[in-house]
Amino acid sequence: MNLNCKEYQHQITLLLYEELPEGAYPGLEAHLQECDDCRSAFESEKAMHSVFANDTTGWDVPSDLLVESRKALADQLDRIERKRPWWRVPTFSVVFTPMRLLESAALIAMGLALGVYVSNQQGRNIAELVPNSAPDNQVSLIPRNGAISNLQVVNADPATGQVELAGEVSQPLRFRGRMEDDVVRQLLFSALRDPNNPGSRLKAVEVLSQKPTDEPIEEALIGALVYDDDAGVRMRALEGLKKFANEKHVRAAFMYTLQNDQNAGIRIEAIEALTTHNPKDPDLAQKLTEATEKDDNPYIRTKVLQFVGTTK
Amino acid sequence: MEAILKRTAQRVHESEDEKLLIEQAQSGDREAFEQLVRRHDRDILRLAFHMLGNREEAREVFQETFLKAYRSLGRFRFESSFYTWIYRIATNVSLDHLRKRQTLKEEISYESDTETHPDRPALKDTLAATTYYSNPERRLYGKEVGQKIQDALKTLSEKERLVFELRHYQGLRLKMIGEIMGSTEETAKNYLFRATQKLRAYLTNV
Repeated sequence: MNLNCKEYQHQITLLLYEELPEGAYPGLEAHLQECDDCRSAFESEKAMHSVFANDTTGWDVPSDLLVESRKALADQLDRIERKRPWWRVPTFSVVFTPMRLLESAALIAMGLALGVYVSNQQGRNIAELVPNSAPDNQVSLIPRNGAISNLQVVNADPATGQVELAGEVSQPLRFRGRMEDDVVRQLLFSALRDPNNPGSRLKAVEVLSQKPTDEPIEEALIGALVYDDDAGVRMRALEGLKKFANEKHVRAAFMYTLQNDQNAGIRIEAIEALTTHNPKDPDLAQKLTEATEKDDNPYIRTKVLQFVGTTK
Repeated sequence: MEAILKRTAQRVHESEDEKLLIEQAQSGDREAFEQLVRRHDRDILRLAFHMLGNREEAREVFQETFLKAYRSLGRFRFESSFYTWIYRIATNVSLDHLRKRQTLKEEISYESDTETHPDRPALKDTLAATTYYSNPERRLYGKEVGQKIQDALKTLSEKERLVFELRHYQGLRLKMIGEIMGSTEETAKNYLFRATQKLRAYLTNV
């Protein structure tokens, strides 16, 4: 084989990966007609692609691995955020500089305009904001009906009189809309992430469970089922997902629950849903057997044995 | 033509949307960061799973990749796409893991050679027992062709394996693979060529 053939064989590889520059194809085609070695290499490389194309032995990442990995990452991020010093926690920040004052005033004006627009256009109630943007009065940054918490002094320079404060502002919010509205969804998803309020997470799951018809809602419910610390929230999320227990991701989440949830009631519900919605599935039977062989709950083990019996 | 324009407009929209998310994440918005993660996490996990060959290490690479991204996102300057950037982190982390595994293999091999631990299983077997290619889940599928392919892939060097993985399974263009590797398209082409040569030779009789 001469160097030229080696170059052509490079081109064969590129051709089969659709990376060969257009202009190079005629030359390669002509060479293949006259060179037995390269034609044989071409056939052999095509055969190799066919072998790979026929490999159906499961190159897919197991769904439960994705669920586990996401959960582990979320836990790690939570730990990092808990360790982060308070002055680095993202909150509002007020610095007494002219540029910041202008930026703040502009932001308030934009917020007000948006609030008024939404309120007028759709008849929705947005909490009232104070329309006072007097630049020398920083308290005007705070909504009249808002509350401040965790206020901290980030920096105080006696020489310049400049002070930087950080804290959190919260204010009442009321919003009406349909489940399809992005704002409604974002509010519900946000409620699901509120670590301090299991009641609001439960309500959010209940509302989302009413219409778990698309992927973001399904993912949010799976997230609640797998991540939430509150058993009531997890149970409600599971109930919302039950009818989709034959879908790949939901099934993986239920398997994860079955193997990891400390609450036997939730594990029982998971197994009920899996066996009801995947009748006589031998693959599931095997996975359930493996997943529950060490489960200390006799009902769960019996349920699996019964299911395995139906598949034989 | 209309379809092309529509797709281009969609890509522009997606890229603007991603830029906004990155900026929000850079200013400490955890939710924005999580949205970025969700856009790419399946691909990153698949890359890690294929490269490392077992669940535990794949999960570690996944976590290490996104934690590195989280910590260094503030230094991301939009000089490459976020996609390229996150893949670069993931490939470096994967290669680090493979190298660590190689070091471990050499250390244990040395000890085994001294015959001071006759009861210790050979490293070759230990590693094989933990790899994706030969773990029990995979054995269940147990098809001959699949096994042959797995054996063939093991003959590749780290970089050949990486380029083959990114091109063949992840479908990335060679130009992007070059960028991800901090190298050139030409280098990526050479690795791909060497990989396909080896695979072809191994799989001739399948």
